[in-house]
Amino acid sequence: MRKDIIAVFLIVLIVAVLIGGTDIQSVDEYYLTHIDDITPDSETVTLSIRCDTILDNYDDLDPTLRSEEFVPKDGVILPPTEYVLRHGDTAFDILDRATRHNKIQMEYQGEDRTGYGSVYIKGINNLYEYSCGPLSGWIYRVDGEIRNIGCSKDTLRDGQTVEFIYTCDLGRDIGNSTVTEGSDMP
Amino acid sequence: MKAFGSFHPAVLLTYFVAIIGIFMFASNPVMRVTALLGGILFCLLLQKKREIPGNLGFYIPLFLLVAVTNPLFSHAGVTPLFFLNGNPVTLEASVYGVFLAVTVIGVMMWCKCYSEIMTGDKFLYLFGSIVPKLSLTLSMAFRFLPLFVRRMKTVTTARRGLGLYSQRGFVDRIKGTGQVFLSVISWSLENAMETSMSMRARAYGKAKRTSFSLFRFTMRDGVMIFVTLLLFALTVTGMASGATDFFFYPRIGELSLSPLAVTAYSSFAILAFLPFVIEVRGALLWRYYISRI
Repeated sequence: MRKDIIAVFLIVLIVAVLIGGTDIQSVDEYYLTHIDDITPDSETVTLSIRCDTILDNYDDLDPTLRSEEFVPKDGVILPPTEYVLRHGDTAFDILDRATRHNKIQMEYQGEDRTGYGSVYIKGINNLYEYSCGPLSGWIYRVDGEIRNIGCSKDTLRDGQTVEFIYTCDLGRDIGNSTVTEGSDMP
Repeated sequence: MKAFGSFHPAVLLTYFVAIIGIFMFASNPVMRVTALLGGILFCLLLQKKREIPGNLGFYIPLFLLVAVTNPLFSHAGVTPLFFLNGNPVTLEASVYGVFLAVTVIGVMMWCKCYSEIMTGDKFLYLFGSIVPKLSLTLSMAFRFLPLFVRRMKTVTTARRGLGLYSQRGFVDRIKGTGQVFLSVISWSLENAMETSMSMRARAYGKAKRTSFSLFRFTMRDGVMIFVTLLLFALTVTGMASGATDFFFYPRIGELSLSPLAVTAYSSFAILAFLPFVIEVRGALLWRYYISRI
């Protein structure tokens, strides 16, 4: 009997840890309806999300995604918008806040699950890695420059411009000449 | 009474390859559900009545497990239901999970029917002379699990007879089952080796030899194989033309009702319910003849 009690106790403990470590949010809680107001003395960055490259490679696109809902006609998912930069914010924090505020779908792989200690963006607006050919995925630029560092490691400064761009060719189609596999993905 | 089992082995093998083959590659929900229903009905007829509650206790939890797992790991889809650790659990992924479970359970049902109907002698009759080694290995593999369960029961009963069991709690009982499991594993492996050695001692597969069998390919088998292949061809045509394609991501697609798709659905439905109908007809005839006597 003693062994049974210990076993039941262990199972209860595991379940409690699992439930405690899970954060369940309703849709309304997740999507921020209110975002920090821009005041004259707040630091800001500009964020935009684009997928123009898909328009040039429309034949490679997954047939289920061929709709204006997922690929807008002008390729702009989020036009350049100013967001308040909190102290220590990374490119990923800004993206996370902006997608929540604008109700844009976004899926990422957490820092602990990628090999290089940074978040990996799997998909935005239902456009996933490999959705448009084998070399496609999300890439990000800060002030027009592709950064070789994960987007949750990249702390931003006041006035910088962040662009999340969909590439169909490992970044070569958006002006990255020195790509090596994996190093450029945000 | 196994009316369906009395067909020629070649017919049966063709039938099972056709139905399980289509079922595994079908993305269309209509086809998946019909195949699952056909499999369940056929399985119900083949099973012993007292085994049914135990099977339900196994398949229903498995169904739920498969259905729940998918939305936890796949976050694609446009309709979030709620968010788990910052990742959406979507309607699309949940629906996909349910249909994934339909396929998994359905294929298991059909495989269960297969092992009831295609007994080892039928399989060896078909392939024993062409690929003797492979067919012996396969027929041993097919019968491995049922035999394993039987042996587990034997060893458990023997241990109980010796007084080697515990009533004190379920941890001790799990331990006991573990010991039985290990001993049955080594027994089974040893036995498989012995089987192969004993077959070699009989010069199995060394030269051409005749074997006795009761199977004859009759008119009835010819009709059945023709019907199976015809329905298979109709369904595959519909699938290959893309008429029955169905998408779950990013938004659940519309069910195609074009003539080609409807033809594919109905021919697949006939194919899936064929064994059930044949079994029921056989049972009715049997009753009728009994009442005439």
